[in-house]
Amino acid sequence: MLAEDFNLPKQTHDIFAVMARGNFISSNGSKDGMNRLYDIINNPENFERLQAYFNVIRYNIERGNNYFYFSKLHEPNSELEKKLERFERYIDIIDLFASMDNKITIGSRFRPSEIAEECNANVRLKQKLQKIPLYRSETLHNKVREICDLMSRDSYLELEDEKTESYKVLDAYTYLLDVINSIAIYEESDNSDANTINYN
Amino acid sequence: MENCRILNRIVQINIANVKYTDIELSGNTCFVGTNNFGKTSLQRAILFFYSANSRGLGISASQKPFEEHYFRYENSYLIYEIDTEDRPFFVIVYRHNKLVFRFVDAAYDPDFFFTSNNDAVKIKEVISNLEKRGIFISNQIDTFERYRNIIYGTETDKVLSKFHLLKGNEKYQNIPKSITNVFLSSKSSIDSRFIKDFIANSLTTENSSIKLEQVERQLRQFNEKYTDIETFLKKDSTQLIEMIDKKYDQVHMLKGQQMEMADKLGSSLRFAETQNEAIRESSKKKEEELEKLTEEHDAFLEHIENKQNEAHEEIGYYDRTIRDANKKLKAYKDQNIDAALEKNTERESLMVELNIARREYESLTSNVANIELKYSSLIEQLRNDKTAYINRTNSKTNEVFNHFNELQLMQKNEYSKREAELKHKRDESIQDVNAEITAKQIEFNELKSEEKVIKSTRYFDNEIRDLENELAELRAVSYKNKSERAIKQNMVQSIQREWENLETKLKTSLGNRVNQINNEIQKIKDDIKEIESKLNVQHDAFYGFLEKNVKNWHNTIGKVVNESLLFRTDINPELSESTANSLYGISLNLEPVEVVSKSIEEYQFEKNTRLAQIRDLEESLNQFQAANNEEKMLAADKYGKQLGELKEDLKVLSYSLDLADKREKKLSDELEDWKNRAGKEVEETLTSNRQRLNIIEEELSILNKKKNILLNDFNAQLDKLKAYNDERLAELKERQESDIAELEVEKKNSVKEFENKEDELIKEKDKNFKSKGVDSKQLKVVENRLKELQDALKEIEQYAQIVSDYLKDKRESFDKLPDLMQKKEEFVKNKNEYAAQLDEANRKFNLKRLELNSQKRAFDEELIEFNNGINFFSNNFRDTPLYTKYADIIERAEPRRTQHNIMDLCTQLLKNDSHFNEEYGAFQRFVNEFAGKFRIDNHFNFIIRNDASQGEYERFAQNLRSFLNENKIELSIAETATQIGLVTDSIATKVKELSGQKEKIEHIIALIAEDFKKAEFEESKLIEFIKIRLEESDNKVYKLLKRIQEFREENGLVYNEGLFNTDFATGQKREISGRAVKLLEQLRSAIKEQEQEEIRLQDLFELKFNIKEGMNETGWTHKIDSIGSTGTDILVKAIIYITLLHVFIKESSHRSSKDFKVHCIIDEVGQISAHYLRELLRFAKNRNIMMINGLPNKSGLESHYKYTYQFRREENNNVRIFPSIVTEVEA
Repeated sequence: MLAEDFNLPKQTHDIFAVMARGNFISSNGSKDGMNRLYDIINNPENFERLQAYFNVIRYNIERGNNYFYFSKLHEPNSELEKKLERFERYIDIIDLFASMDNKITIGSRFRPSEIAEECNANVRLKQKLQKIPLYRSETLHNKVREICDLMSRDSYLELEDEKTESYKVLDAYTYLLDVINSIAIYEESDNSDANTINYN
Repeated sequence: MENCRILNRIVQINIANVKYTDIELSGNTCFVGTNNFGKTSLQRAILFFYSANSRGLGISASQKPFEEHYFRYENSYLIYEIDTEDRPFFVIVYRHNKLVFRFVDAAYDPDFFFTSNNDAVKIKEVISNLEKRGIFISNQIDTFERYRNIIYGTETDKVLSKFHLLKGNEKYQNIPKSITNVFLSSKSSIDSRFIKDFIANSLTTENSSIKLEQVERQLRQFNEKYTDIETFLKKDSTQLIEMIDKKYDQVHMLKGQQMEMADKLGSSLRFAETQNEAIRESSKKKEEELEKLTEEHDAFLEHIENKQNEAHEEIGYYDRTIRDANKKLKAYKDQNIDAALEKNTERESLMVELNIARREYESLTSNVANIELKYSSLIEQLRNDKTAYINRTNSKTNEVFNHFNELQLMQKNEYSKREAELKHKRDESIQDVNAEITAKQIEFNELKSEEKVIKSTRYFDNEIRDLENELAELRAVSYKNKSERAIKQNMVQSIQREWENLETKLKTSLGNRVNQINNEIQKIKDDIKEIESKLNVQHDAFYGFLEKNVKNWHNTIGKVVNESLLFRTDINPELSESTANSLYGISLNLEPVEVVSKSIEEYQFEKNTRLAQIRDLEESLNQFQAANNEEKMLAADKYGKQLGELKEDLKVLSYSLDLADKREKKLSDELEDWKNRAGKEVEETLTSNRQRLNIIEEELSILNKKKNILLNDFNAQLDKLKAYNDERLAELKERQESDIAELEVEKKNSVKEFENKEDELIKEKDKNFKSKGVDSKQLKVVENRLKELQDALKEIEQYAQIVSDYLKDKRESFDKLPDLMQKKEEFVKNKNEYAAQLDEANRKFNLKRLELNSQKRAFDEELIEFNNGINFFSNNFRDTPLYTKYADIIERAEPRRTQHNIMDLCTQLLKNDSHFNEEYGAFQRFVNEFAGKFRIDNHFNFIIRNDASQGEYERFAQNLRSFLNENKIELSIAETATQIGLVTDSIATKVKELSGQKEKIEHIIALIAEDFKKAEFEESKLIEFIKIRLEESDNKVYKLLKRIQEFREENGLVYNEGLFNTDFATGQKREISGRAVKLLEQLRSAIKEQEQEEIRLQDLFELKFNIKEGMNETGWTHKIDSIGSTGTDILVKAIIYITLLHVFIKESSHRSSKDFKVHCIIDEVGQISAHYLRELLRFAKNRNIMMINGLPNKSGLESHYKYTYQFRREENNNVRIFPSIVTEVEA
């Protein structure tokens, strides 16, 4: 079946290229015309066509609050587990971000240096930052940079201005918060040996 | 000497490495010299004569500029001598800071410039030399432009206009450009792009390209603004704006409340601190007052009680006295004292009567004294016995009587004693009960007084009064605010109407203006079309025929011919000598007749004028639109600001009214609450009072019952005692009476016996008397009378004691009774007065005591409240961040009593702060999300830093509100709409301007093609033909630019009110706008993709050649790498250049100016064969073009030139140029 048969928008390829990587298309993203792509998907006619089209290749467009992403139909459990593992690292990051004086919310613009400075000035934040695993950067600034880089790659943030190293929080950040918030931690019970994390 | 104008000579004095050289150029000239000897420099100097553009000489940026390299000294001169029809003139170029020119009306003479020592003089001296000789030297020409105007004959100054090389038309700039281009093009291969560049460069100035960077910038700016507006207009953004606005109000209100509360807290704290001691003092004072009051009251009570007791005692005394007197009086009455008194009054008269009776009896018995004495003694004896007996009996009776009386008295005493005891006991008990009753009664009275006090007391009077005052003030302010709001709402409506009217007016006027201008433009376009159609056909029309065949036809036929006839192509004009100067054989004097025909230049001029008119109209429309926008902006600024301010005021008023309503409700509730509390308090106090009253009433009734029971009990006992006593007394009386009766019976019997005996004696005596003659009857009467009197006296004597006692008592008591009663009454009255005083004093005391107690309690309560508040503040508030936040307000507050206690305020502040933080968090999130939707450098300046302060967030919301109130989005839309119009228009204008030259190109190409045809290639058979043709450009950017221009042509000026989906947008306008935006977007992408800096004239078309040399035909191609040998290539290239030059010169010079020659400077023609060179020179000569060529060395080719100069570098590195002696083979 050809794309033309679906009367698809000409940006279909771009949309696929972004979302098939597991990334999000947020309404407030500006790089690579992301907001345009969002508007295109958000158009009800386009949405239906794109949905039908991508369903053929076993992808489903999921709609969030001002963002879109792909979910795979009949995804194997191993893949799901991997995905969940990816989120584990974000628990500490979101915890750090939520503890900041200047809260990081959708649309916020910040520089890694600002976060690093705040962490440096606040022992609690510093500890939180230091305990975030997977990073080996020596300075706090570099650590925050790596976090921002990771989040940019996962399309939760956008490097808006390379010169000033200014990041913007994209709408997809809500997805992260929602997933993290839906984690229920159960206390150790008599029947289990360790704490378990359940994802709802 | 040539009979035409030509650059005849170039003289270099101290120019570059050349000290002096004088080179003739009036024919084909050849420079021979090895590289770097200065051939090119000299050629540049010649080129400078034509171009007068020091930057267009092909000097690379790494080399010294022309001015510095050539004009190193003060006395460096470049002199160009121009030969004319009559006498030559020359131009001096020298450096006076910059390069300047002077024209000299004479042939060049070295003497003008050199001293006798062959030293070049300075310009001043040159001028002086010339002036001395009376030779005209022009003023200094400062600009290249003016110099070119003079040289190319367009100078209007008559003094200078004669110094021209040729008479150029408005396109004369093409001549120097062409000469320059020929010189600069050094490529050996013929590329159509190069020819294109050549033609284009010749026709355009440096600025006549479309700078894509500039376009891209405009497009980017437009796109950014468009994106910003689009983002703003999105539903999400609108929702966020609403939420921000709402949250801001909430946050603002909460903050205001917090600040107000903080101020209240501060005031309360200050008040508590400052009032603490005063309240303590006041409380103490009230306590002292209370003590004093109690003391005074107690003293008064004691005093009154004393008085009461005294009065009571007095009353008791008088009561007792009166009671005793009455008792005695009653006893006397019972003893029939009145009768006794009456009898007592008869005693004296009875005594007198007794004495008379006695003396009468003595006188009657004086004759029978012995008998009388005997019988009298016997009777007397008997009577004495009888009296003794009676006395004994009486004594006995008295004994019995007394015994019983004694018993009775004892009984009475016993009774009295027991009665007194009982009464005492009764009185004691009753007194106790009475005391109790009195106490209770006092208490009851007190409670009654209290009840009255409570009923008259207004509880929480201050609070209620304060609240009532506050409510009244609040209502007054609300009323004022409501009026103000209504007025302002009306103002808003009228301003909005005014604004809308103005907007409509502006819109209509813009629409009308656009239509009007478009109509006018269309009209002019029609005119232009007409002119163009004339120009297009003029070659083949009657006009072209006349131009070609009839000299000065404008002055003959041009005066009489119909203009439309001139451009008809179907009338086949033919020359006929016989009627050459007549109109169909009729000779006419046409001197006074005005010429009606127009020259091609005039048509061209008319066309240009109309184009200029269009431009002017469009410009005026732009200006009008700009003015319209300006007016719109001014209106928006004026009305928007007014509306903004009014709306802000309205919001503030509404907010104030809301707050006032809430406050009123709250205050009303509070007032109601206070009133309820007051009522409740009264009720509670009254209830408790009434309960107590009831209890006391009950107690009183119980006490009264108890008292009655006691009284009854005692009365019963007393009655019983009395009954017993009476019984006992009666018994005793009975016994007494029976004993006395017995004695009396006995006595009576005995007395009877004695009386019988006495009668016997009396009878014996009477017998004796009779016997002795004594009137016994009269004696008997006297005796009876004596007896009666004695009995009467005896009876009187019996009551003597009582009467005496009575009289004594009467004197002492009974007569004083009225006085005693009056005095008693007085004391009773006094006693009542004292009781009333006591009641009044009690009432007053109770009232005062209650008041003082209540005041003291209030002070104490306030003090406790203050202390609790201060403690709470210190322990639970001072260390919180909230205190830090409002420390200024709290610490600077004025001490003032508020209706809220400190603890409540602290608690409420803390509670509110948590709510505030929650709301503020949401507010910040909304602002971040909203700002995040826009680009970081959006033109609305919707940007917020992540670490922005609360103030910055609030300013953001305020600015956003102003933005909405002043309807800035409409302004932005209008600006962007104008911008798209301007961008489209600017692109269209540029494209049109550039495309306008395409016609020139087409014309030039046609001329070139024509010239190629005319070329006499047949003679040498070297080149069979050179063909050239134009094709459409395949440049993507240009195509889009062209589409935009066409779009602009089709839709006129695009004033896009339908750019966005707003109220203004209509279907058609929206569709047009959509297309415009899409086109601009496509153009932007294409520019980005193509990475081209500018669109030049040469990008507008493709040029293709087809050359056939011998058997070789290239076919239509862009690039001709190799036609034949290198020489052939150079020849073809030179021929093309010369053709181009020829065409441009022909096109750019005035038709009347034909007698001039120009130079074509082509360096390095060394590889061309002599045969070809000859062919080339001839080709040039036929077109009045002189060749200046460079050769590396002498090769025989130089023999074909009129002048040959050789270059030699001398030891001092100077270059010497000298003429080579050759024989011109063919010139």
